[in-house]
Formats: sequence, structure tokens, C-alpha cells
Amino acid sequence: MFKNFQSILQLNWFYFLLIIIIFWIGEINLFSAASGSLDPWAKNQLIRFLVFIPLFFLILMLKPRIIFNLCEVFLILIVIGLLLTLFFGYTGMGARRWLRLGFINLQISEFAKIFLVLYLAKYFHNLDFKGHLQVSRSIIPLIITFIIFILVAIQPDLGTALILLILGCLMIFFIGIRLIYPILISFIMIAISPFLWTFLKPYQQSRVKTFLNPDLDPLGRGYHIIQSKIAIGSGGTRGNGFLGGSQSSLDFIPEKETDFVFSIFAEQFGFIGSIILISIFILLIIIPIIKSINIQNTFVKLAILGLSIKLLLEVVINISMTLGILPVVGVALPFMSYGGSSLLSNMIICALIMNLMSVEKKFKYFR
Amino acid sequence: MNSNFDSSKIIKRRSFLAIILAFLFFLIISVRLFFLQIIRGDTYKKKSKENRISTKITPPSRGDIFDTNGLLVAGTISNYSFVVYKYLNKNYDLEIKQFSKIIKPVKYELLKDKLSKYNSYKPFFLLKNIPWNSIVEFEKNKFRFSSIKILETKKRYYPHENFSQIIGYMSESQTSLKDFPKGAFHIEEFYNDTLKGFPGKTFNEVNAYGKTVRQISLEPSIKGSDLHLTVSSNLQNFCQDIIPVNKKGSVVVLNAQDGSILALNSNPTFNSQDFENRDSEKISSFLNDENKPLFNRAFSGFYPPGSVFKPLPALLGLEKGLINEATEFFCKGYSSIGSRNYYCWKKGGHGKVNLKKGIKESCDVYFYELAKLLNIDDLSSLATEMGFNQKYKIGLSNAKPGLVPNKKWKRKTYDESWFPGETLITCIGQGANQVSPLQLATFYSSIINGGVYPKPRILKNQSVEFLGRKINEKFHKILLNALNSVVNEAGGTANKLFRDNPNYIKIAGKTGTSQVISIKESDREDDLYKEKQKEQLEKFKDHSVFVGYGPVDNPKYIASVIIENGGSGSSLAAPLAHKILNFAEKNNV
Repeated sequence: MFKNFQSILQLNWFYFLLIIIIFWIGEINLFSAASGSLDPWAKNQLIRFLVFIPLFFLILMLKPRIIFNLCEVFLILIVIGLLLTLFFGYTGMGARRWLRLGFINLQISEFAKIFLVLYLAKYFHNLDFKGHLQVSRSIIPLIITFIIFILVAIQPDLGTALILLILGCLMIFFIGIRLIYPILISFIMIAISPFLWTFLKPYQQSRVKTFLNPDLDPLGRGYHIIQSKIAIGSGGTRGNGFLGGSQSSLDFIPEKETDFVFSIFAEQFGFIGSIILISIFILLIIIPIIKSINIQNTFVKLAILGLSIKLLLEVVINISMTLGILPVVGVALPFMSYGGSSLLSNMIICALIMNLMSVEKKFKYFR
Repeated sequence: MNSNFDSSKIIKRRSFLAIILAFLFFLIISVRLFFLQIIRGDTYKKKSKENRISTKITPPSRGDIFDTNGLLVAGTISNYSFVVYKYLNKNYDLEIKQFSKIIKPVKYELLKDKLSKYNSYKPFFLLKNIPWNSIVEFEKNKFRFSSIKILETKKRYYPHENFSQIIGYMSESQTSLKDFPKGAFHIEEFYNDTLKGFPGKTFNEVNAYGKTVRQISLEPSIKGSDLHLTVSSNLQNFCQDIIPVNKKGSVVVLNAQDGSILALNSNPTFNSQDFENRDSEKISSFLNDENKPLFNRAFSGFYPPGSVFKPLPALLGLEKGLINEATEFFCKGYSSIGSRNYYCWKKGGHGKVNLKKGIKESCDVYFYELAKLLNIDDLSSLATEMGFNQKYKIGLSNAKPGLVPNKKWKRKTYDESWFPGETLITCIGQGANQVSPLQLATFYSSIINGGVYPKPRILKNQSVEFLGRKINEKFHKILLNALNSVVNEAGGTANKLFRDNPNYIKIAGKTGTSQVISIKESDREDDLYKEKQKEQLEKFKDHSVFVGYGPVDNPKYIASVIIENGGSGSSLAAPLAHKILNFAEKNNV
């Protein structure tokens, strides 16, 4: 079940260092979000991180075959978890998103992202085909993606649901469906988007509207975007320095510990700091993808690709949202936003990526 | 086997694509960051400085409302609450636990969850409406609690329950900064803009921890303007008390000379203070009560007026030259149109009847015969000139015009033409007629004033406006003479008033009995009957109506009284009106 001890040395420890760096930047940021106090966020987040570290190493030690074998089981658990959330979930902010398990509240949809990717990677691995993927073979992955999308969308949590949908579609794209299909679907989506608009809840519609023009509602919904832009912009080239952000400490930024952590960071550390942070995120995402290119095993390849893309999507969507490039959809910034489910799921993802990156390049089939 | 060689090539290509895409995304983000932080950095820096100055809006005091003698009927009082500011002390939870030992109703366990998520810099309410002894107790132990403060909030105060139907109430205060409590009903709503005042602003410089360092400037709030009502609390209270407790009904007292509303009562009533106190139990009992205590019957209650309406067709007949003072009709107990009979309340009939006798004894046949000569459209437009069919926007909610019908209305509502018989019913104040007690008072005001009458008003500083048109002085005298005879001559339907209370002021007026359901025409009776009614169910009993004015030689006060299911006008409404007019005159309200 577990790898031998020597193989630990073959792991990519630089990748681990990147995680630690980002996590500590996040800690410092949460500390400053509370105006220089460990309470209430920085301390809790550190405790969570320490609690999750053993699980991280446990996953690192697993043989890839074990991960491969457990994909379906976990996907089924996720679907059950999502159903339980719908019926028994803990309601917050108008949506049933959390499931109470003992003493912790878990946002199952966060974990759905991981196991959807793993399951689809395994599905395509088992197909073992030549050339382009036939359209007929993308039907089952599409159905499964869609079921999970719906289960999350009706919570309602449109942000997470859309990420799941994009992830599922991207997996099919990477395995090699002919390019004509995604292009065709994009056109259809654009054509029917006016109809989809009517399905959105009023608050979701108003988010898009305020995104397009924040001045419509400067004290209400547009407030987030305007204040976030002020905070980021006032950081200038070098930033206002650690704990020097007036916007963040004065409570002008709402949800500064979750969705808008990047605004706090950019205010304090400016353009230079932001570019450094973004570069670290680029490394975290690009390194595994580059490694995966030479790996022969389809499951491993796709899993690394899919999980890295998940991180990419979240980083890009979250930062774009604080910069006013995308509407506010409630996507956390990996390792920096305050929140247990997001931290746990991202640690699992990075442990999986780190584990799978270390497989032998020639290793092609699970024996 | 090398079966998926091709496909691995495709994956490889697309992985590169993913890498390119990732770089592209980050490039977009970097460009945006460059734009926000370097190109527009200075602009945003300036904006962030502005954010450093926090603006607090201070609510204005609302204007007070006084009665005609300067007695406060709606004011503002202070209300005290215990609040906690979390930022003042990290161990605020311990303080609250200590605090709950002194102030018993505060339970930390119940507040814990809400409190932990609450903004540190905003007051969290531990206990509202604290009694005086709790304040004293707290002051003694004040030094132990650095995070707990007493916060003063303002509240509307209504000392006189009987003014609720006039003043109305306020809506629940909103938590957002932009909205202060607003008037939601009657005067509070209608004159909200006058009463509300203007909020002030304090500009505070706050430090990095959100604490106020110094006050930079202050724009004081401006108190709203006071309102002075024409209503007299003496008379208002007197009238409310005089309406039988278990009866629905209303009283309007108008000043005949300047249109001031001196009293405006509706029974049952509610208490504005219960709305201000957010007493949900009482509010829902008001809302669900089938007697509708929130409904102001004097202003928005519409009834068929019964015989008090009769001066109107009489005036129309005189003006059109169809009748004169001496014109007589013969009352044999009924009048016919085609095969249909319309009955007088007096079975044997009144014999020969002229205008004065028709009004004095309230002979129905006289008005049936007159109605046969009249055009309903003329009657309806005269009614409008004389005070009916108008919404009086005096500041009360639910203003409606009511109805004295015409042919156009009938066509529009029922898509039917007008039947001559309907004119007969309309002329005795029944049928489709819908008038409010206030409109009845203005109708009599226009009779007293010779056609041009002061518009009813409820604010003292409102200038007196006149409505209507002048009527011939001769016709004016004929009507006044007839109305005088109702009370002051033997045989008048309200002559009993004069006999019962000879020492009261002398008044004139007209009785009316408003039919609730169409009882058989042959059973129709007017003012003086009593016996039949006792057998009927209470809710089918007629409404008792009386409109009177006094003193009779120089009328100053008009009282319009309706008691629902009160029976005949002479039996209940007339004596009440007499008492009210007497009270008004004796106390010179």
C-alpha cells in the first residue's frame, strides 16, 4: 500500500517549498487582515494546517496504484455527500453548502473537484485508445460531470459548480477530443446564454450587472469591487508595507479574510509583491504540468494536469475578481483564503500532485 | 503494446496549450495590476485617504405634533440600551458574563453565536428599553465593564391614544445608514417630509485600528418642523368616550367658518404606541380584528347616507325651478313608477307635503315625486359642488372620493343604462350612494355657508381655501329653515333632542337611517321606528346617522355622527351629536 521509505527522497521537495511559502504569505496576510492580530483567522488557519499535515504526508506515501484503485469509491462518497448536504446541510448565506461531520463543517463541493478529476483521469486511462477521442466515449464523463454540476448548482453555489463544469470539459479536451467539438459547443453556449440568464437567481444577476458597472450600486453590491480596486490601486509600486494598509485595517474591504485576501496583500506589498506572489503561483501550477508531459501513464498525466488546472482556475478567477476583471463569484484563493474546506482540499490536491509527479516516466500501466 | 502512442502526443500538445493559457491568464492579471497600481496608483491612493475619514450620519430629531391648544400628541423620547463594542476589550465575553450577574435578563449563552460574528466596531445590543433601576445598577459597577456602554436611541412617543386614527404610526427603523424610520400611516406618513428634518454628519479621522482620533467637522442635524393640528384633544377625547364602546362608528366635528377639523373619531381604534413599541402581539390583533380598528371610518368609511342626503335633491329642485317653497306633493304612503311601488317610512302617509315638511318629517314620497322630475346627472354634479365625490387630501391615508352616482358610472360599472327608479332611491340617500362622515360634514358646511364652504383642513397653519359655488340666498334660507324645524319644531324627527335637553345649545340638523340590507320595500320605515329593529340581527340593523350644527342662529360647529347598526338616526346618533355640539360650544373649542 505504501511506498518504501527511500522513494521519499525522490519527491519534488521544491514543490513542497512553494506550498509552504504560499501558505506563510497567506498567514502573514491573515494576520494583517485582523489589524495585526493572530485572532481570529491566522491562528485558526495555522492550527488547521498543522492538523492536516499528517494527512498530507499519508497521501504522499501512497502507492499510485492505491490512488488509482480508490477513484470510483471516492466519487460515490462525494455524490452521497452532496446529496446529504442538500437534505441535511448547514445553511449559511442563503445556501446549503456545508455538511456537519462531527465537529467540523465540510464543504463537500470543494472535494468534488478533486475526485471528479481523478475519476475522469481513470476513465480515460482505462479506455486505452488511439488517436482522437471518439465523441461517443465522452458521453459518460459528460453525464457524470453534469450530475455533480447540478448537485452543486442547486445548493446554490454557482461559482463552484461552474468550476466543476469547466474542469470536466477540460479533462475531455485534454484527452484529445477533436477541436471542432469544443468550438461548436462554445458557439452554442454563446447563442443560448441569453436564455440561461433568466435561470439565474436575482442576486446572481445583480452580481453580473454590478460587475459590468460597479457604480450602479456603490454602497451595495458594487461596494466590494470598488473598495477592492481602491485597496489594490493604493498599494502602488512598492505597497504600503506590512500592516500599512489603511483600507484593510479600516474594514473598508468586506470578506477580506476569504474572497478578498488578495486585495489586502496587494495593498500592503504593491505591484512588486503581487508579481512575486503570482510568479510563485505560476511555478506551483506549471512545474507539475511540465513534469507530466514526459510521463507515459495516462491516469497520472491527466490527474496532474487536471488538478493543476483546478488550482489555475481558482487563482485566476479569485484574483481577477478582486481586480474587477470578473464578477464576484465566491471562489477562494488557494492556501491564502481563510477556510478549512478550501485549505484541506488544496493540501490533498498538492499531496496527490507531488506523489504522482514522482512516478517513473516509463511506468505506463498499473500492475 | 504501444496502443496509445498517438493519443499521448495529443495530450502532450494540449498540455503545452494549458501552459500557454496559464501564462496568458497571468499576463492579463499582471497588465491589470500594472494599470491599477502603477498607472492609476496615485488616484487610488487619494481615494484611500478619503476612506480614512469616516463619515457618521447623525439622525435628526423628528418634529413634534401638537393639538390645537399646544398639547403634545406625538413627540420623541429617548430610549436606553446596553450595547457591547467588542473592540474596546478583547475579553468582552468575560465582561458580559459578569454583567449578566448584575443585569439578569442578559444571557451570554443566548447571544454568544451572534456576537462572535458581529462587527467589532459596531454596537451589539445586549438589552433594549432598559428600565431606570438597571441604569443605576450599571452606573455603580461601570468601572468593571470597559466594553459595555449605554446607548441612547430615539423613539416616537404618543401620549394620547385617541389621536392614533389621525396621527398614524411609523415604520420599523431600518438598519442601513440611509434610512431613518419613516412615517407609515396618516399624518406621520403624509407629512413625513415636513416632520423628518435633515440628518447631520460628523467627520471623524480614524486611525489604523478604526478608532476615532479626532472629530474633524460636524454638520449638526436639523430637527424636523413641528405640526399643529386643528384637532382639539378635549373634544377628541369627549367624542371618543361618547361613542358606545361596543359600537362601530365615527364622529367628525368641523368648524363651519374655517373648515378646521376639531375632532375626527373612529371606533374601534388602535394605539399608535403599540406600533412604535413593535408589540407584535398587539399589532397582529389589530390587523386580524374583524372590526378593523385600523380603519378610519370618519374619513375612509363610506356609507349610504340615508335621509341626511335629502337637502341635496331639494336644492336641485329649487335651482331648476321644478319646485318652490310652496310646491306640494301628496304622500299616500307610497309612490309608483310603472308597476313598482316605492314606500314611505310612514305607512299611512304624510298627506300633503311641501319642502319644509318633507325635510322636517323626512317624508320619502315627497322626494320620490321630486326625483321623478330630476335628472340624476344634475344631482351628481351638484353633489360634487356641495362636497361629495371628492377626496379630501387632509393628510390621512386611504383617501377615496366615494360616490353619488350618475349615468356614466352605471354604464361603466354595470354596463347598464340608468333606471328611473334608481333616481328615487338615490334621492333618499340609499342605493349606490357612498359618502363618508367627513363628506357629510362638508355638505352641511356648504349648506350653512350658502354654497361656498371652507375646505376641511387639519393643520392650523394651512390657509383657508374655499370650495363650491354660491347658491341663491332665497334657497339657502329655505333649506336652513327646514333643517331648523327638524329639531326645533313639533313633529320634527329630532324634536326629541330639544325636549330632552332644553338647556343645551340650540342646534339644527337632519336625521338619517342608512339601510344595511335591502329589506322589503313595504317594510321601509324611517327615523321614528324602533320596534321592528329589535327583532333583527344586530349586524343587519340600520346605521344611525345624524348631521347637525349649532348654535342655530350663527352656526360655528358641525357634527357628523354615524353609528353602525345603531338603528334610527334619531334614536342614537342625534343625541350624541347634540351632546358633542353642546360640549364644543360650552368649552369654546
